[in-house]
Amino acid sequence: MQEQVVRGDLHAPINSQERYPMSMSFVRLISRLLVVCLIGLPFQASAGMIGTDQAVSATQAQAARAIVLSQISRADVAGQLQSLGLTPQAAADRVAALTDVEVAKLAGQIDSLPAGANGSGLLVLILIGVLIWWLVK
Amino acid sequence: MELTQVPFHRQDDFLCGPASLAMVFNAAGISSATVESLTPMVYLPGRQGSLQAEMLGATRRVGLVAYPLAPRLEDVLREVAAGTPVVVLLNLALKLIPVWHYAVIVGYDLEKREVIVRSAKRERDEWSFSFLEYFWQESGYWSMLALPPGRLPATAREPDVVTAVAALEQAGRLAEAREAYRALLARWPESLIGLIGLGNVEYALKDLAAAEQAFRRASEAHPQSAIAFNNRAHVLAILGRLADAEAVARTAVSLGGPSLPETRKTLEAILAQRKQP
Repeated sequence: MQEQVVRGDLHAPINSQERYPMSMSFVRLISRLLVVCLIGLPFQASAGMIGTDQAVSATQAQAARAIVLSQISRADVAGQLQSLGLTPQAAADRVAALTDVEVAKLAGQIDSLPAGANGSGLLVLILIGVLIWWLVK
Repeated sequence: MELTQVPFHRQDDFLCGPASLAMVFNAAGISSATVESLTPMVYLPGRQGSLQAEMLGATRRVGLVAYPLAPRLEDVLREVAAGTPVVVLLNLALKLIPVWHYAVIVGYDLEKREVIVRSAKRERDEWSFSFLEYFWQESGYWSMLALPPGRLPATAREPDVVTAVAALEQAGRLAEAREAYRALLARWPESLIGLIGLGNVEYALKDLAAAEQAFRRASEAHPQSAIAFNNRAHVLAILGRLADAEAVARTAVSLGGPSLPETRKTLEAILAQRKQP
């Protein structure tokens, strides 16, 4: 049996495909955990001081709601950015540059929010848009 | 009115986000910004595009103030008139099948009712106001500025400016945040978040005397702000002025409010420090 497995790895047999999803989910779990660690680090406030974000949230209800869930949402958004093609470090760096309110808006909506692109392959759609503008103006 | 000095960065494929940012970053003095250098900061491969929040985030990461404008053409034109190019988000196709696109407005002609735009592969386009507004409406007339930290928007509103600068601080660009807080305090000397933010940045940059001064100004202008008293007490304790620190911390606790757990902790820490021989 053991021999078969060893030989199997060398020749890439069927069972390597079966193992693939498990190792992938393990890698994904580890990278998610890594993202959480990377995100947690810059937000350790020094004892005794109250951060500016709390002062902002005292004046804005929207910011107050966002700050409550910020750590969870940040890990969530970083995980989604990773699944859309970023490395754990890049995802963490990007999330660190966002406000709590922005993170709250992104959480769970990264797939549907506008992503400015204008690929040239979409020229036909754009021409339709221009045509409609021409007709309604 | 045309900002001819704003350079053009040509967009290839899906990179209108990085290209638009490169143009406004160059105009704000970050001459090293290019489409190539900004793509890893803002482009999202899985969406083949760039999200609005990340356009703002990338702006902070290069040390500029990211300022979303009020949804009005008038505000965009006022910013351009003041010398700042504006990034706008457009939907070029249909509501159901959107094709989102960023472009940079660099000028306008009120008589011809046209804006001058750098967009995609075209360095200079003239669009009528109605053409722009039609394609702009579905983004909720979204637009943004990237400003050097010492400059305020021409259309600046205090709550929006303090939020934008606090975001720069949170993104870790402390030196730039300090400059931006000073600029906003020159306009609104009693801004509570401006003063607390400046104090927190000075503290993080280890200028305790300046931090104490900022928190003192905050507590004098806003005697109801427990945060101002709490942070001032903490800094006074580090400076070794324990009697003053205790009095200020007691005021912070007496003000109550949502930061009461923190203010109590600060007072306890100061009392423990005073008991030490």
